[in-house]
Amino acid sequence: MLAIHGLWSRGRGLLLWAEDGDRTVKSPSQAARSARPHPFAAPAQALTEIHPGKATMATVLLPSLLSAPLDSTELVRATPRPAPRRPPALLPWSVPAITVDPVELADPAPQVRYGASVTHLRELAAFAADLAARGRVLPSLVHESGAPAARWRPVVAGPDAVRLAAIVAAMPPVARAEQDGRAGTTGPDPGALVADALAVLVDAAVRDALARSTEPVDLLPRRRGRRPRQLPASELWLAALTTADGRFPVDGVLEASSLDHSDLTELADALAAWDEVGTGSVGPAQAVFRLAEVAPLDDPADPDLTRPDTVWRVEFWLRSAADPSLQVAAEQVWAAPEGVARWINRPQEVLLAELGRASVVYPDLAPALRRARPVACELDVEGAHHFLAHAAGVLDAAGFGVQLPSWWDRKRQLGLVASVRTPTEAAVTPGGMSREALADFRWSLAVGSDVLTEAEIAELVAAKAPLVRLRGQWVAVDPDRLRRGLEFLQKAPSGPTTAAEVLALAARHPDDADLPLPVTAVHADGWIGDLLSGSAERTLRPLHPPATFRATLRPYQQRGLSWLAFLSGLGLGACLADDMGLGKTVQLLALEACERDGGAAPNVAEPPNVAEPPNLAEPPTLAEPNLAGPTPPAPTLLLCPMSLVGNWQREAARFAPGLRVYAHHGPGRCHGDELREQLGETDLVVSTYATATRDVDELAGLTWHRLVLDEAQAVKNNLSSAAKAVRRLPAQHRIALTGTPVENRLAELWSVMDVLNPGILGTPETFRTRFAVPVERHRDPEAADLLRRVTRPYLLRRVKTDPTVIDDLPEKIEIRQDYRLTAEQASLYRTVVDDMMDKIEGSDGIQRRGNVLAAMAKLKQVCNHPAQLLHDRSAIGRRSGKVIRLEEILTEVLAEGDKVLCFTQFTEFGEMLMPHLSALLDTEVLFLHGGTPRSRRDEMVARFQADGGPSVFILSLKAGGTGLNLTAANHVVHLDRWWNPAVENQATDRAFRIGQRRTVQVRKFCAAGTLEERIDAMIERKKALAEMVISDGEGWLTELSTAELRDLFTLGAEAVDE
Amino acid sequence: MSDWYYPPSRPRRVEGGIRARSKRGEIAQSWWSARFIQGLESAGVGGRLARGRSYARAGQVLDLTVDAGSAVALVQGSRSRPYKVRVGLAAFGKAQWARVEQALADNAWYAAKLLAGEMPTDIEDVFTAAGLHLFPAGVRELAMDCSCPDYEVPCKHLAATLFLLAESFDADPFAILALRGRSREELLDNLRAHRGGGAPPAADQHGPAAGALADCLDTFFLAAPLPPCPPPAATAADALLDQLPTTGLSVRGHELVELLRPAYRAMGGP
Repeated sequence: MLAIHGLWSRGRGLLLWAEDGDRTVKSPSQAARSARPHPFAAPAQALTEIHPGKATMATVLLPSLLSAPLDSTELVRATPRPAPRRPPALLPWSVPAITVDPVELADPAPQVRYGASVTHLRELAAFAADLAARGRVLPSLVHESGAPAARWRPVVAGPDAVRLAAIVAAMPPVARAEQDGRAGTTGPDPGALVADALAVLVDAAVRDALARSTEPVDLLPRRRGRRPRQLPASELWLAALTTADGRFPVDGVLEASSLDHSDLTELADALAAWDEVGTGSVGPAQAVFRLAEVAPLDDPADPDLTRPDTVWRVEFWLRSAADPSLQVAAEQVWAAPEGVARWINRPQEVLLAELGRASVVYPDLAPALRRARPVACELDVEGAHHFLAHAAGVLDAAGFGVQLPSWWDRKRQLGLVASVRTPTEAAVTPGGMSREALADFRWSLAVGSDVLTEAEIAELVAAKAPLVRLRGQWVAVDPDRLRRGLEFLQKAPSGPTTAAEVLALAARHPDDADLPLPVTAVHADGWIGDLLSGSAERTLRPLHPPATFRATLRPYQQRGLSWLAFLSGLGLGACLADDMGLGKTVQLLALEACERDGGAAPNVAEPPNVAEPPNLAEPPTLAEPNLAGPTPPAPTLLLCPMSLVGNWQREAARFAPGLRVYAHHGPGRCHGDELREQLGETDLVVSTYATATRDVDELAGLTWHRLVLDEAQAVKNNLSSAAKAVRRLPAQHRIALTGTPVENRLAELWSVMDVLNPGILGTPETFRTRFAVPVERHRDPEAADLLRRVTRPYLLRRVKTDPTVIDDLPEKIEIRQDYRLTAEQASLYRTVVDDMMDKIEGSDGIQRRGNVLAAMAKLKQVCNHPAQLLHDRSAIGRRSGKVIRLEEILTEVLAEGDKVLCFTQFTEFGEMLMPHLSALLDTEVLFLHGGTPRSRRDEMVARFQADGGPSVFILSLKAGGTGLNLTAANHVVHLDRWWNPAVENQATDRAFRIGQRRTVQVRKFCAAGTLEERIDAMIERKKALAEMVISDGEGWLTELSTAELRDLFTLGAEAVDE
Repeated sequence: MSDWYYPPSRPRRVEGGIRARSKRGEIAQSWWSARFIQGLESAGVGGRLARGRSYARAGQVLDLTVDAGSAVALVQGSRSRPYKVRVGLAAFGKAQWARVEQALADNAWYAAKLLAGEMPTDIEDVFTAAGLHLFPAGVRELAMDCSCPDYEVPCKHLAATLFLLAESFDADPFAILALRGRSREELLDNLRAHRGGGAPPAADQHGPAAGALADCLDTFFLAAPLPPCPPPAATAADALLDQLPTTGLSVRGHELVELLRPAYRAMGGP
């Protein structure tokens, strides 16, 4: 297990090096004078296997004992090192390192942990990319090892300078641990190091953006006249700004001989004019301009739109750059500079200098400065409008603070509102509504979401001022926009014709430009309104599954079923994103059962043509397509990870025995006519993402009633082959099931939503600029709100803590956790069975009993992980179906902020899992076993129970199964089985006991076709046997006949993954 | 007089002299430095101005200090000992400055502009009102001395000094006021006193320097938390191009800023 660290090395760029938790700690050399080889640094080859790069060496200064460096915070060892007894000292160590492309930072590998230095560099790279994307860069001419080069340098001013200062201050010491030549122990200056890194990263980010541009960027205009013998340096420089490396002259394009050095000097002189722009210095303080209204109207209810005497003021404030919460008005700077001087040196001069600078970009400021102690600038209404619309942006870009009244934002601008009335006498048909249904659609002119009356519009038209008081609030009125809006309304434009179009209209981004004004709101009543507001789930009349359905749905599951049916009726893709454990599977099966066994279900509404009028008072229940039609619906195609195929089959058989299920996967699956024939008698086809990707051509040629994506995170990367394949599958309806619609990035949400309802969130690029960057990077509440609004109709997510759900839940949910063996596990499993059966047959008495128990143990180990059977400490990788499934579960548990206990009988398995999981999940994993001293055990329990403590706790069943109180966990996973319910329940009760306030989910791993499943089934079948089990552990198994044992052990075909 | 008759005198090369930042064309960039050496071109005799300019660019001026009433420089010529150069301009008296300072303190515009690195365009109004002139009427109003044998005034050494002086005014408009008798610090202190906010300036504050690595062993692997990054104002990706000082550079007949614009738009993405 590696802990990877990064540092910026001048001249070399980004270096990665790593500690390896599996290597011995002590350095053989005691010579501390010069840099010794780091004893547990990973070799360069181990690094290049994770990130492509070039091997090199680096000397790093690390806190060390004499014999070895200390472990970093991120390094995990199976057996932790004892805490150092002496204070550490800073010593140099030489480590293998690799130089990598900075894009590698954005692509972390799952099997390792990354140190704070890597996170810091990632932040820096993101800052560089952000500067480039906002055009905060300038071209420059530099000399690099004697050759001229064109470089894009960062322009850092105002808020960016504050950000840069914060990044410099946040740099962890390990990120500047490289010893630079001299034997000093100071380390490079963080500011200089960050500046060097930023320069390189920005240049790369710009070139990357230019290379990816849809139209090739060529800055050189066409030449007029003949080509001169000597090309001017300016042309060479301009050409080099868009090449990959920026060096010039560029061979083959512009020859070296054509460079004239005095010409180069002249170019450098001209560009020197830009030297001072945005060099990143943060002044001690920043002027802030705050727009305020001096004489608010006395009576907002009776506004005089043209009232001429409203006075606006731009007040001057001074804000500390180091601590932006410190802000004082100019009055105070003039009257009591002593107080201000405690945090700003020479406050009056700073304020004056800031005002002088601001007057360059905002010349209207000048008259206000013509007094001894300027405190504000007075404006008339035109001036205020100019300030709001133009000056504010310019001042902000120039690095000044600007504070505008809260009413000034996008929401209060002139726009269009669409009003939709839900029909009272119309039919709802699958795939949309009939035209009549939307006859009552209307466009209106509005400010924000307030529809304007005729009188108000007339007043706006008459008003001459750009800012108008309307309903007590100021509104900016652009006469041109007003005219365009009125023209649009006069043309009596038609509205959308289907529910899907209404929803798409509501999903529009204000920047979409095919209407004359932005759509500021969609007003809808009835069920469309409910859908838009996300309350459809609560207002729909609950749908009941048919009598043949064998499970009783909990109320929230019934609401989920109605919601799925409703969206299905409208032809809208639905994403059911309930928390894990809330029963997404059963809701989907109920939906299928309703549709296919509808005749037997009295609660399902009548066929479409006579459906009840849907309205608010009587929420609609939707008829399903083809319910009463002559042909039954085409089969539904359900895709899931391989490990869940068996689960779907079993659950379907259990809850909806009427559904005809066909598992389409594995080498024996049908093709061609055979497949068509099979589908003719199938309701639900369960297949895997891998199969669908492989067979996409064939599957895309078939007719599907519905496409269901279980664990829809599988398509979260829209470039993956699975995502591409599912887009090609035609289906009348699509449903995604996932517990984590967004695991890491918002782009994942785009991908899932785009599969469900293509185009709903725009192109990946527009989604990135409109939502992903503003929300993830800038935590822009407006963008987040818009995104929520757009996705709300299609996404239903209930969480376990939801009060409407929590009452419905039992206190403990037992889940049998299916998984499949990998090919390697299966082959080992068979070898063990063959080998042990021979031994069992050839032995008797005590020897036979011993052999049976040994066989059991070995088979359990195989199911855990091949390396556990082989005892060879080999890599974990993706060799165990159980571990892979465990990783998925833990990822989901952590994503929900929950804590989990994992029990195993095998200390060795725990030892393997602990470093692996902590690397994979990038979190601390506790491990308690029989050898853990009591004091350490108590400390672990206390930390696990504490808020913010570790979230994953592996315990050996014997050491941790009793006595401990671990109620911080609400998940319990039994990794391997003891087949003793009492022992298992005792372990489960570590979490499920007094003090536990949440529902506890208990998962027991069980692979179909292995002894895990067979013994489980035997216990279920024979109560008497179960009692024996309780009294006797696993001993009863030794009494089985050889034939019985053979049946028990033999590996079933269903056990193996494809 | 033919050049071949008198061997041209070559200046000795100098290390560490003050080099003019401008490498070509006019040296004084701002209106106020241009105004200060107004008339120098017409006053130049022979090639002295051009040579003075190349002296300034070559770094032949060893030292330049501006004081009340005069600027003094050492210029390395062809002789081993540098020439002493002095440019004099009458400093204003205490009473005269008091009038000017009162007027400046009453109108924050002037100090604001000066502190932002610009000479206010209407600065001369303040001095005129006090019966004074900030700028010399022409270089002839300047007292110019040089210890070189050249009898022409200005000689190339004086010209080099004047060019560098003008360039120092570009960078710091307060320097012209200093020549007239008020250093930047004195002036700012007096203006503050006139305004009535008499706080003495605090000692210079510096941010905490990054600790030596050996001093942060406890937090060696930890990063300080970064505050969330506030959303930037929505401006076009090419907005910066419209806020830049001009370079005067054009390529194939097109202005540089316009040539760069497509690149900035491409950076902004779709």
